[in-house]
Amino acid sequence: MKAFRRSRHQFVAVFTPDEASTLSLLATQVSELIENRSPHDSDPALLRLLPDAYPDDAEASAEFRRFTADDLATRKAANARRIIADLAAAAGATSATVVKVDAQAAQAWVRSLTDIRLTIAARLGIETDDDVESGDAVLRDLYDWLGFVQGSLVDCLDR
Amino acid sequence: MSDVLEQTELVESTALDSPWVTIVWNDPVNLMNYVSWVFRSYFGFSRAEADVRMLQVHHDGRAVVAIGGREEMERHVEAMHDFGLWATLGKADE
Repeated sequence: MKAFRRSRHQFVAVFTPDEASTLSLLATQVSELIENRSPHDSDPALLRLLPDAYPDDAEASAEFRRFTADDLATRKAANARRIIADLAAAAGATSATVVKVDAQAAQAWVRSLTDIRLTIAARLGIETDDDVESGDAVLRDLYDWLGFVQGSLVDCLDR
Repeated sequence: MSDVLEQTELVESTALDSPWVTIVWNDPVNLMNYVSWVFRSYFGFSRAEADVRMLQVHHDGRAVVAIGGREEMERHVEAMHDFGLWATLGKADE
């Protein structure tokens, strides 16, 4: 992986086939998690992706969820599909490939990378700033790598 | 004269309907540069203002990022959830 850099109105990074297919798979899994959720799902990842809006008022939180969760889930799934589409060529390639993300797609990328990282963090049990070394080492490396990917894209958006 | 009275009523009703805030909470996942970028791109904060709020979230565990009517704050909270930030509504006086 070569970090994102800005090239005119696009954001450009280099992904190996393994990296592209891994990120693509994670995006698929997160979109499936969101789309297949049930109304009272207690999955910690889903509770973080669609959190309570009123911490001390379960009824108001449920009502807020009723009005917002479907739209949010639809947008989150669409964001994940954007990543999958943009990575398709690189995932199917035989060598490291340049991936170009336009300005609009970058908005989907940074959001979905956040959703993916939030989901992995929930699986790793990362709940506070002190939980940096918790969980499975391989998943932990993946989580850190996704932080690098996202951080480099945010740096580009920031300029 | 009636215009003046209507204006006053408007101001009063806005004040009465506005005891809500949008709160963003610290989490160990979201990157500092991302949180600051979200505050700038969504709320239109200056870089200095966005960094102050972001650091407040990071160090104090939470920051109020908007104040206003309940519906407006619900829109902001939904937008923050769209970005993956942990946001809630609260009463301004709590």
